[in-house]
Amino acid sequence: MTAKTTSKTKDKRIGLFVCHCGINIASIVDVEKVAEVMKDYPGVNFSTDYVYMCSDPGQQMIIDTIKKKHLDGIIVAACSPTLHEKTFQEAARLAGLNPYQIEIANIREQDSWVHTDKAKATKKAIKIVKSHVAKALQNENLEPIKVDVTKRALVIGGGISGLQAALDIADHGYEVILVEKNPSIGGKMIQLSETFPTLDCSQCILTPKMVEVSRHPRIKLLTYHEVDSVSGFVGNFKVRIRKKPRYVDETLCNLCGECEKVCPQIVPDEFNMGLSFRKAIYMPFPQAIPGTYTLDAEHCLGLNPVRCGKCKDVCQKKAIDYDMKETIIEEEVGAIVVATGYDLYTMQALGEYGGEKYEDVVNGLEFERILSASGPTGGAVRRPSDGKVPKSIVFVQCSGSRDTEKHNPYCSKICCMYTAKHAMLYKHRVPDGQATVFYIDVRTGGKGFDEFYQRAVEEDKILYIRGKVSKIFKEGDKLIVWGVDTLTGKKVEVEADMVVLAMAMVKADGVMDLLRKLKVSTDIHGFLAEAHPKLRPVESLSAGFYLAGCAHGPKDIPEAVAQASAAAAKVGDLFAQKELVHEPTVVPVNDELCSGCGICIAVCPYGARSLDPERGVAVVNEILCEGCGACAAACPSGAAQQRNQTDNQIFSMLTAMLRE
Amino acid sequence: MKLHYYPGCTLKEKATALDISTREAMKRLDIELVEPEGWTCCGAEYPLTEEKIVGLAAPIRVLRQVREEGGDVVVTTCSFCYAVLKRANKAIQEDPLKHKRINAYLRDDIKINERTKERTTGFDDYNGEVKVLHLLEYLRDRVGFPNVQSRLKRDLKGLPIAPYYGCRLLRPQEELGLDEPDNPHLFEEFLEAVGCRAVDYPFKQECCGSYVSVSLPAAATEASYRVLRSARMNGAKAITVTCPLCFYNMDHRQDAIKETFLDFPGLPVLFFTQLLAWALGVDKKLLGLGEHSVPADHLFSESPTTEVRS
Repeated sequence: MTAKTTSKTKDKRIGLFVCHCGINIASIVDVEKVAEVMKDYPGVNFSTDYVYMCSDPGQQMIIDTIKKKHLDGIIVAACSPTLHEKTFQEAARLAGLNPYQIEIANIREQDSWVHTDKAKATKKAIKIVKSHVAKALQNENLEPIKVDVTKRALVIGGGISGLQAALDIADHGYEVILVEKNPSIGGKMIQLSETFPTLDCSQCILTPKMVEVSRHPRIKLLTYHEVDSVSGFVGNFKVRIRKKPRYVDETLCNLCGECEKVCPQIVPDEFNMGLSFRKAIYMPFPQAIPGTYTLDAEHCLGLNPVRCGKCKDVCQKKAIDYDMKETIIEEEVGAIVVATGYDLYTMQALGEYGGEKYEDVVNGLEFERILSASGPTGGAVRRPSDGKVPKSIVFVQCSGSRDTEKHNPYCSKICCMYTAKHAMLYKHRVPDGQATVFYIDVRTGGKGFDEFYQRAVEEDKILYIRGKVSKIFKEGDKLIVWGVDTLTGKKVEVEADMVVLAMAMVKADGVMDLLRKLKVSTDIHGFLAEAHPKLRPVESLSAGFYLAGCAHGPKDIPEAVAQASAAAAKVGDLFAQKELVHEPTVVPVNDELCSGCGICIAVCPYGARSLDPERGVAVVNEILCEGCGACAAACPSGAAQQRNQTDNQIFSMLTAMLRE
Repeated sequence: MKLHYYPGCTLKEKATALDISTREAMKRLDIELVEPEGWTCCGAEYPLTEEKIVGLAAPIRVLRQVREEGGDVVVTTCSFCYAVLKRANKAIQEDPLKHKRINAYLRDDIKINERTKERTTGFDDYNGEVKVLHLLEYLRDRVGFPNVQSRLKRDLKGLPIAPYYGCRLLRPQEELGLDEPDNPHLFEEFLEAVGCRAVDYPFKQECCGSYVSVSLPAAATEASYRVLRSARMNGAKAITVTCPLCFYNMDHRQDAIKETFLDFPGLPVLFFTQLLAWALGVDKKLLGLGEHSVPADHLFSESPTTEVRS
């Protein structure tokens, strides 16, 4: 310890408040003894215990004592600081003490809850408290860092979640930029036929929202655009957005469709999941927004009038321009909603189900297109291989879900319901057909969900077999499904004309690149991680990022909409503030000690640190710094010292704890 | 070149056709097969039971012998031997307890000096140094199918043949890693390389009945029947196997199958090495066709187009 710190800390007056937390702490830790022992500890001026420190009288006692005893540092020995640090900081502020003079000694989660021996737990509590005294003696007064906020939001993804979030934010009165990588907004929901449990037409309920988004005065809609990079920090992001060339001027295109007629290039249609074909110049679906043709350069004969140029020749509006180039747009926003959606697990991963081999083994989205009135069969249930009406369909739930050994361990949540819907819609269209569903469990948690499932079983006579499918293969014209009925313990073999696999929902294709650019964290499956699984479910751990929809995990439409609205509300919270405050417990750089080695820059997970090329030292953007301390631990010269968590403080804490 | 070859016991008894045709084929590829001195049975399934580590003694002894003779690769053709040797090898590499106990047990084996006939004891620990390869794997990875193709002497003219993997060649994949168990293609690649057409059919990885043919023959009969029927329905003129037990269940017991399933007209069963040897120009008499219960001679006829090219 240097002489300087000791002299500074000598006259500090520390107060200690030990909480019983009812019996949570007091039954294992002798709290009275802790308060008693610490009374005479150097630096401690006041010590007491109380049954609930976080209660109003408890806080009042702290406020009164700070004033009466002229305390300039307090320690609350109680629960984890994640729970009540803010409470006690506020109490200190009311008493006129700088909130950063508050120390929380965690004697509950780290002591009473994990031990059974009262004597040892009490001893440990005393050590923990002593270490915080050592730290509190060296705490400095800090002021929160303040910064302005740009009151515009970016929403990434134009599916139902992104649309809802954009509409809500815009309706709160803020500007929104909505970026969608595909030629049209609508996402996966626009591909669905009818939605459970009400069987209302998906397009009919989604298209009004799409129109509203496109007409909203505060929404700037950027379709066929992708986010290229994001820099800055909460309230002050700079976003570069890549405009992909559409080769058709959307302001001129009048949808006459002449170009499509003459285009010689035939391409599998993504909107119909490859079950039908489109041209290289196309409109994804009739209600696409924006209403314009898009030229798919990958499949075009070469954007070259010498090679083809037929579409350009017939376009009377002169809307087609082969020379369009990719451009970059820069925007400034204060908050970003990530609503990048999901994709289905690939059929290749389930080789034994033959999805890759047999045309009549389809996934859930393909079957949606087959059922859809706007689909390749006009809503008639026909199988892809030969267009015959299937007289027997087997539905396989949990294809790739709930499989801890080989596939995804999680439940994809919506498959039980949409499979019931698929089977029901099939039976409505082919009343003499046989629908068989293989399931592990039927999970119908949701309003009106179980009633819907019961209707499928009882009214539509859908056969549910509890068990997994082991293999699907073709014999002649039929698909043979091998499975097990775990209720009878027998193997079953079902002949089918068609099989629908309820494939697992997985992270969107290629989304990881984007998420890395955004620096938002994900779980092990690539779904966005929320800041707290219960209490902060729509925020990312990275400040200023909000989550909506299936990018965060499998969910159905109402849930996705609810989450999008919640994310929009959170964006509203942020924008309602005049300025943002940021925790001051960041890690500044001591220029005199810094050698400019750059180690701290490499370890910083928030991109808060960079090298000042002129002075050859590290600099920190205090707004980006989350105070994780990684740089402080990595810094070889001690130039990176976290405020109120300096190396000196840590060593003093260790000394206090280990001294006996 | 010399290559260590572990035939396994069945190849010396019930499935000599597999042994002969393997030797003849490899001769044509200029590979001399060497059997490890004093090899024993690999133990079939028993070494792989978790509880009884001692079962690993037999396969590890074989592998250690290969090492002692300076070999770093041993090739097998029988699926069972392949699975047992490879998995035993992996157990020694990855499970310290098994490594310790087996080596402690085998250390005092008697070593006989070839020249002096002097008997000593004491072996160095076996640590899984020898690589176990199936012949199909050896042909694919070490020889290369294009090289096999360049040595072909007969044109099989796209003879439609059903590849049959059975169980032991593919599973457990984490330990064998030979091919994708749900969508294998090694056998198909082999058949195409020797000039056949690989018939795709859904039963190529289903069970033939295995040892159940001893305790519950009716079940094995049905299992084999389903495989054979599916191969035939998909246009195969014969089915090829790597495993002597599959051969036994499908060939030697085909009369029983025909008696039970009257609709089944029969299908020849071949070892993959018979096709390889034939395509490489080996004389028909050296294919061991006399061992077959279901006649397969007609598949190996010397028509003008399949004549030996000089």
